[in-house]
Amino acid sequence: MTATAVRRPAAPARRSRPRILAPIAPAALLVLVAVTGPLLAAHPLDKPVTEPYAEAGGAALLGGDQLGRDVLSRLLHGGSALIGNALIVAVTITLLATLLGCFAVLSPRLGRLVERIADTAILLPPVLGIMLLALAWPGGGRLAITVVAIFLGTPYAVRIVAGAAAPLATTGFIEAATASGERIGHLALREILPNLRATVLALFGLRFVDAVYVISMAGFLQLGPQPPEADWALMIRENGAGILLNPWAVVAPGLAIGLLAISVNLAANALAPATARRAALR
Amino acid sequence: MLLVLLAVVFAAIELLPGDAASATSERGEGAAGVAARRHLLGLDRPVWERFWDWITALPTGDLGTSARGERVTDLLADPLPNTVLLGATAFVLTALGALALGLWAAARPRGTVDRIVDLTSTAAFALPEFVVSVGLLLALSLWTGWLPAATVTSADGSPASWSMLVMPVLALTIPQTGWNTRIVRAALADQASTPHVEAAHLDGLPTRRILLRHALPGAWPAIATGVATATGPLLGGAVVVETLFNYPGIGAVLAGAVADRDTPVIAGVVACAAALITVVLLLADLVRARTLGARP
Repeated sequence: MTATAVRRPAAPARRSRPRILAPIAPAALLVLVAVTGPLLAAHPLDKPVTEPYAEAGGAALLGGDQLGRDVLSRLLHGGSALIGNALIVAVTITLLATLLGCFAVLSPRLGRLVERIADTAILLPPVLGIMLLALAWPGGGRLAITVVAIFLGTPYAVRIVAGAAAPLATTGFIEAATASGERIGHLALREILPNLRATVLALFGLRFVDAVYVISMAGFLQLGPQPPEADWALMIRENGAGILLNPWAVVAPGLAIGLLAISVNLAANALAPATARRAALR
Repeated sequence: MLLVLLAVVFAAIELLPGDAASATSERGEGAAGVAARRHLLGLDRPVWERFWDWITALPTGDLGTSARGERVTDLLADPLPNTVLLGATAFVLTALGALALGLWAAARPRGTVDRIVDLTSTAAFALPEFVVSVGLLLALSLWTGWLPAATVTSADGSPASWSMLVMPVLALTIPQTGWNTRIVRAALADQASTPHVEAAHLDGLPTRRILLRHALPGAWPAIATGVATATGPLLGGAVVVETLFNYPGIGAVLAGAVADRDTPVIAGVVACAAALITVVLLLADLVRARTLGARP
């Protein structure tokens, strides 16, 4: 809530390259594997190759799923859509929030409106929001979930940007620009925005993590991607019944989502300077 | 704000194609039959009229009638306490766990413990609850056989044994503790740089005393707000975890109601959840007001 503690608005001191690369490498590698995955898959994603819930080994390295489809191939197919979706959501929210946040600090009325909306949105748990809005648009599938995730994520994000930008609005150079008769658009985009790089970067990282969470949750609730699509979260739900017969059918996609969430989060954490990270902690 | 949220929820359900009358219709029922029930349920009246009826009945504890003709309060009476039990247990564990871990890490800034806690809490909060659940199921149920994998409901509608609560509660607690540990740690770090804490250091007081007596009081508002915001994710996560463990909570009611386009039921669940979150946030504000009031 208290997102005002930005003591150093200017660009932070650069850190040495290896220390930044180390936390990012796992995330980058995982994303690369997930995106190139469909090319590596040995079997088509909707053809049975073994008996249902077959144990690992033989034709399928990780065994078969509830219809006897190859778990490994489906795993390799399932990642790119999730990551792509999360990326779209994170980019959109960050852009929207940055623009709105910059204007919000300059216009008290807009600022109050944003504050109200964010306060209201906090009363609706994300899962309930997904259920409501995804069903308002049956057949919307991934697109509906993307829109919901953007709607639910933006109010908080605007508040964070506004919180980081608020101290700037009262600094000398903004007051000078206001006095010289600059219009609000110029003030927001040319004077305030360039000083928020660190916050925006931290925001993007956290929004990406959050988007992976929301989208995989929707997949698990079977509200987003529909079978026979290979989606990691959907695979966990579909194969839950067979966890005793072939644990890999559930564990492998679970591990994939877990690793994605953790590695992206650590990367985001490493990229963000400490002050901005503090500001982004709600 | 609660009012605005409920109005938005009402409107959102109204925008759904299809309504309660057609969603609950039997197969082979004619258009006339659907229209008749639509009239019976009052669905042909304008949405603001129905919303007004529902919202004015709310203070009397009446949540309206579901599309299948049951009273919403009866529908929620059994599962809601189960979900609240699940969420409340997880909430208490989260608060205690985060506080303990945060203090432990803050005792030696940049020490080994601090770094390990920072890394694991960062890692934990990104994990969706259902992924944690799968891991727990595998470790505690399939490999070791310590806990039952699914919840068996006893005659009064509550889980048959406490051991069935362990895994759902843990699945909810682990990601939230990760997030809140970071908040506690950050709040304590902020306090560590204040003059009175530095003065206590210079006076040579023991670290534990400085942390508990000097740093923690100032950090309370930030911690309380942080933990209070965990209420929403905990309730939402509970709905998801319930489906995995077959736990008798509002998750199942909600899934059915969404499929039936049953406005009063969904609005009732959202109202209960939002009211609960409001109360917790108000408590956090109270803590903030008291702490700030005590220190002129």
